[in-house]
Amino acid sequence: MLRVKDLHAKVEEQEILKGVDLEVRAGEVHAVMGPNGSGKSTLAQVLAGKEDYEVTAGSLELDGEDLQEMAPEERAHAGLFLAFQYPVEIPGVGNSYFLKAAVNANRKARGEAELDAMDFLKLLRERAGLVEVDEALLRRPVNEGFSGGEKKRNEILQMAVLEPRLAVLDETDSGLDIDALKTVAAGVNALRAENRAFVVITHYQRLLNYIVPDHVHVLLDGRIVRSGGSELAHELEEKGYGGFDGARAEA
Amino acid sequence: MTSGADTRTGPYLELFAGRGAGGPVGARRQQAIERFEAAGFPGSRDEEWRQTNLGPILRARPVPASGGALGEGGALPFLYPDCDRMVFVNGRYAPAASSPPEGVTAFSLADPAGAGADLLAEHLGASVDGRASCSADAGVHPFAALNTALFEDGVALGIPAGTALERPIQVLWLSAPSADAAAAEGGAPASIEVSFPRLLVVAGENSQAAVIETFAAADPAAGGYFVCPAAEFVCGAGSVVRHTRLQADAAGAFHLGFQHARVDRSAAFDSSSLAFGGALVRNDTVALLDGEGADCTLDGLYVLDGSQFTGNHMRVEHRQPHTTSHQLYKGVLDGQARSVFNGRIYVHQAAQKTDAKQTNRNLLLSKAALANSNPQLEIFADDVRCTHGSTIGRLDEEALFYLRARGIGFEEAHGMLVHAFAREVTDKATFEPLRRDLEARLFASLNGGRSNGQDG
Ligand SMILES: Nc1ncnc2c1ncn2[C@@H]1O[C@H](COP(=O)(O)OP(=O)(O)O)[C@@H](O)[C@H]1O
Ligand SMILES: [Mg+2]
Repeated sequence: MLRVKDLHAKVEEQEILKGVDLEVRAGEVHAVMGPNGSGKSTLAQVLAGKEDYEVTAGSLELDGEDLQEMAPEERAHAGLFLAFQYPVEIPGVGNSYFLKAAVNANRKARGEAELDAMDFLKLLRERAGLVEVDEALLRRPVNEGFSGGEKKRNEILQMAVLEPRLAVLDETDSGLDIDALKTVAAGVNALRAENRAFVVITHYQRLLNYIVPDHVHVLLDGRIVRSGGSELAHELEEKGYGGFDGARAEA
Repeated sequence: MTSGADTRTGPYLELFAGRGAGGPVGARRQQAIERFEAAGFPGSRDEEWRQTNLGPILRARPVPASGGALGEGGALPFLYPDCDRMVFVNGRYAPAASSPPEGVTAFSLADPAGAGADLLAEHLGASVDGRASCSADAGVHPFAALNTALFEDGVALGIPAGTALERPIQVLWLSAPSADAAAAEGGAPASIEVSFPRLLVVAGENSQAAVIETFAAADPAAGGYFVCPAAEFVCGAGSVVRHTRLQADAAGAFHLGFQHARVDRSAAFDSSSLAFGGALVRNDTVALLDGEGADCTLDGLYVLDGSQFTGNHMRVEHRQPHTTSHQLYKGVLDGQARSVFNGRIYVHQAAQKTDAKQTNRNLLLSKAALANSNPQLEIFADDVRCTHGSTIGRLDEEALFYLRARGIGFEEAHGMLVHAFAREVTDKATFEPLRRDLEARLFASLNGGRSNGQDG
């Protein structure tokens, strides 16, 4: 589904990603772990099409299509979803209005009929219940004045409503208490499906107790220095990232 | 450049000579034209006018708007349901298209009698001839003086004390210039049809009224006309006057407006100015808070594109204690549009406990657009709270990316963000047909204004 090959990316003349390879197949959950500043968010933003980042080498493909040729909205239409590490506050744009515009923009781009107000409301209520988002948040402007946890839940709500094929979650767990973490994980697990894949970016192993990944990758200084099964996450928990510095030095 | 000013005023003095100073307000007209002649048009060194290029207007020869060219139903697209209304075409009253409110002294200025004549004698032009003019250094407003001298027709509304009007009163000022007036030479028209809409609202003690002024053109592609309106509001003690000024003139129009409010004890004057049309537009607003507890709210939105220019010049005077004023003006500028916001809050020594707030925010959608914002505070009382802020910024790229990452296309995302910026002002319209009209105009001007797709 997703194929990232030898990806190099820079921002403001500084190379951040220095050759990332990642292959994700339908139905899989991948975890990308790494310390602060290792390039996790850069990878996520490059996938979503943020223009600040320049891809200098390598390739990005979703279902065989070159992502680099696609505008951010076209990537979304193709089924890509990014849960932002720092969701953006948009004063003056109502949350449910925004969600309806997003759902219908995607439906339109895929040649499906747009949802009317009633059908959309039904969908929204159902998914809001699934990820335990308070209906009051739907009436407020997008993310404005939301707590950290509310913002993260709102990202998961968007994912649940948009039903992407590939969801990239960028540190959706950070700043969440254990209950919120469980809710977010339950939301993700409810969406797990044969034809859908997840890339879960995280700093801590904690989330992976609830979303059990098929593959774990360690990103260090812009490179994936090790890949393995879910046991790798536990190893990291014990040894920290220090041990992998050595691994990279040897590599 | 005083000799230059003389040649420019000549054609306007001739208009006056052609009309004469007869009628119920003849003496006042005479006085106004004398004041205008003495002051002349503002020169480039006049601080208040420095940033307004009057050249295109003053180079053209003014001819009175011919009027009458409105077909049956020509006003309909601009009229709101559930309103009383008075319709003017090229500055002249169109009784067939009007349905004046009941229980209100409402009449065309051309033909006042009885109560109407008294209202005029007491109030008309008070803000222009000095009886209620701004104190301090405000001087003569040349275009307000011209309006007093030259207005053809207009409307005076007297709201009896203790009366609360149920329906808004819509006053439509429709311009329908004749086709040959639009012929342009070298960018500026050789002649322009000029009209002088005049509005007087006198709200009695504890009365309540809502007045919606709409400035529009029967043909949105019309050019070569000049609207020079003046409006006066006398808000009696305890009254609540809501005023909306929708400026939706044709793209090539010139519009120089003046409005003046005197707000008495515990009265509230709430005025929204929404500017979408015109090539060269300016609106000068003076509010005098003249009694304890008087309050005014002045909001504005200007949405500009191409080479449009809009200036808003505000002067709020706090003259008595415990007076409050709130100003929120927002601008959206695309293309090579330019705007000026000049906001002056003047707090007299007597006006202790004044609470004044002024905000001007501008959103630039293109590199060539330019917004000027000049807040000025002059405070002569020591126990006051006055704040002002102005910003000139661009669209939030992070927000734009966030929306696009959710599948919302560039154009739609762009529109959503601009709308989010502007609705703080349009949402204040509580009269539903008006609010919907403002929304529609906002969306129309945003879509008309976007040319490119990707990297904005
Ligand atoms: N927009 C940007 N401008 C400048 N530097 C950036 C930008 N985005 C990321 N960086 C830098 O790139 C490196 C990796 O950042 P990031 O991808 O956010 O790491 P992580 O998400 O793993 O914490 C950091 O050194 C960060 O300072
Ligand atoms: Mg990060």
